[in-house]
Amino acid sequence: MALSQVEVLPNGLTLAVEERPWTPGVALQLLLPVGAVNDPEGMEGAASLLEGWLWKGAGSRDARALADAFDELGVRRASSSALEHTTFTAQFLAEKLEAALLLFADLLLRPHLPTQALEAVRQVALQELASLEDQPPKKMFAALRRAVFLSNHGRDPSGNKAHLESISAEALREDFARRYAPRGAILALAGGITFERAKEAVLNALGAWSGSGAGYPPIKLAPPHAIHLEQNTAQVQIGLIYPDVSFDHPEFYSARLAVQVLSGGSSSRLFTEVREKRGLVYSVYAVPNGVKGYSYLTAYAGTTPERAEETLRVMQAEIARLSEGVREEELERTKVGLRASLIMQEESSRLRVASITRDLYMMGRVRTLEEIEAQIAAVDLPRINRYLAANPYQNPWIATLGPRKLVAA
Amino acid sequence: MTRSPSAVQFKQANLENGLTVIAEINPQAKSVALGYFCKTGSRDETAEIAGVSHFLEHMLFKGSERRDALQVNLEFDRMGAQYNAYTSEENTVYYGVVLPEFAPQLLELWTDLMHPALRQEDFETEKQVILEEIALYQDRPNVMLFDWGRARYFAGHPLGNSVLGTVQSITALTREQMASYLAQRYAPSNLVLALAGRVDWERTLEQVASLTASWPKGRVERTYPALNPAVGELREPYPKATQAYLVVFAPGVSAQDPRRYAAHILANILGEEGSGRLHWALTDKGLVESVGAGVDLADLAGIYYVYAQTDPANEEVVRAVLREELERLERFGVRPEELERAKNKLATALVFAGETPMQRLMSVGINYIYNQSYEPLSEVARKVRAVTLQDVNSLLETHPFSRSFFYSLVPA
Repeated sequence: MALSQVEVLPNGLTLAVEERPWTPGVALQLLLPVGAVNDPEGMEGAASLLEGWLWKGAGSRDARALADAFDELGVRRASSSALEHTTFTAQFLAEKLEAALLLFADLLLRPHLPTQALEAVRQVALQELASLEDQPPKKMFAALRRAVFLSNHGRDPSGNKAHLESISAEALREDFARRYAPRGAILALAGGITFERAKEAVLNALGAWSGSGAGYPPIKLAPPHAIHLEQNTAQVQIGLIYPDVSFDHPEFYSARLAVQVLSGGSSSRLFTEVREKRGLVYSVYAVPNGVKGYSYLTAYAGTTPERAEETLRVMQAEIARLSEGVREEELERTKVGLRASLIMQEESSRLRVASITRDLYMMGRVRTLEEIEAQIAAVDLPRINRYLAANPYQNPWIATLGPRKLVAA
Repeated sequence: MTRSPSAVQFKQANLENGLTVIAEINPQAKSVALGYFCKTGSRDETAEIAGVSHFLEHMLFKGSERRDALQVNLEFDRMGAQYNAYTSEENTVYYGVVLPEFAPQLLELWTDLMHPALRQEDFETEKQVILEEIALYQDRPNVMLFDWGRARYFAGHPLGNSVLGTVQSITALTREQMASYLAQRYAPSNLVLALAGRVDWERTLEQVASLTASWPKGRVERTYPALNPAVGELREPYPKATQAYLVVFAPGVSAQDPRRYAAHILANILGEEGSGRLHWALTDKGLVESVGAGVDLADLAGIYYVYAQTDPANEEVVRAVLREELERLERFGVRPEELERAKNKLATALVFAGETPMQRLMSVGINYIYNQSYEPLSEVARKVRAVTLQDVNSLLETHPFSRSFFYSLVPA
């Protein structure tokens, strides 16, 4: 297995490189801790606007020349902003590393942020926000997170309409100068390059970048409760959030394995009980989720109104039943699945950089395959069942979206 | 992962029962991907059984005479398989990826599932799941746009058939109708078993020959009625849409056509996110939430498509800009630097397309279904590099965009 080397550069940027000498390509992922969670008060949506505005020209190039320059190098690229961070991804051939990094340096250090282009960026952001109405699952989850968090973590990453409409170019430029900084940023590269070469290229392109970035707000939770959004949809959207343990908890892997038993495959409990036996849904799942410093379990189902009560009841019963423990056979099956997915993830450099940046962001280090395998192997039946008995999944926040409120919620 | 492209080998065999087995073997890979590609889909259905291909795809997972649904799910998960299936207008594809030690088990399981039991009780339960899937997409106007848009565009041609079917057709469908469709369409001659990654070819071939020895032969036909697609414009109100959704269809090239690489580049120049012509004409001006273009390469037919999502207030302007851009493209063609940039990006994409056995399985399998031939990634890369300005611009000589059909879903 390729090992990733990690170094924090003098300006605070964390660089991680996984050498994969057999491939001619390089996958890049750059994570900046700039998201809705640290958008300034009254400027919800600023991170989203900045991410769009950056591409409107940088360094010596206007927007079109910048895009052309990336294209001429054959760089495939994308960027997006979310609740906690803004992410840039790219793929290119290894010989283009230095040139590609110089273009990213223009983008991050020398964007034009031209006033005349802001209006178009604003219009795109407003349309994205409006389109939430046509995406019921996304709308339900945005409302559910708002119900869970009293802190900024409940914000919608797409922003607030009134704020998006009123944010000025000047305020956004100030926000850019403050939040786009190397400290706390993570740059991961995986592909046909060496660590030495990557470090030299990154120092050359981004060494002069400076700044300490924005802080991360404390988390504040609302007491668990249920909300309902009325909308005349064909399906009722059901979402649940249960408190869960974080990476730093000694039983973190017990909890991960338990969620796999609950929803890790089509023989998992939720899929079996809700879809296979009862035919209540097309989609039902539970996944581990969270923000930095607070982990939770998210469960979802979509079903037609007359079957929504039963669906919610069966889901809650299955999730609660975890406290009674799992069976040996379930645990073994789950371990095989996790191991296979870890090994197969190694085959894709794009999956690797995504996994490396996630580990570095959440834990400050990159877990090796061996470490994860050892941790999983160390969870035996008595241990996981002791953990589940002592830490039952209970008291969820619940959101439903549909033609009418459910009795069970 | 392709440590050395020269290590990659292609193998092919035709069994006596008519089944074709193909493999792209990469001894350096960590996994084995394999699947059955059945050349059948909604275009092969009559209106009475609309949606049967997709419903049948679900029913395969409900088991054979030897395994019930819960057993099937358990077996996949005990191998740690990542697996799924999909149905399109033309193909039904069952695929999975496992670590090499589980490949024989995965092959045995998929092979057994090609003869599903179609138990009545499972049929009724799964019918409910399909109806939920239909309801799910009713809430997504961006999906219904394509479903209804294709139906209007193909105007009675089976390529416009909905993959999901309708609430009415699914509700009325019987187990017997499905069994009859299965018997007609899943003959070995209409299936390709494809493998990619760390494949043990000799062992695979021996195993599959033995597993399928009793499969009855059969002849499967597909009809190719004349295409007479709609031209013009149609707007339909949809109560579940708050935004405006537009799609443009125009005649393209088929999955067999050697010009498909050029067509792909043409669509890329037009609609690549962040740098295509439509990006500059629409997104860069704030007129749309998103816009894109692509090609749908079908069996002896094909289309170009362009889609956009926008605030209803922009709908007229967006439609006008789309018309203008398509007209400009058709009249003046593409420029040399646009071609070079598109080719550079495709060259990068092709490097990453070779990373995992699963990606290779899909590409090798689908290409084989349409062309009965194998193209190594290096050959695809060579063909992309060889595309000339003349190749791209000659696609426009037949004036495909003058025969465009504009379809939109707008708030009611």
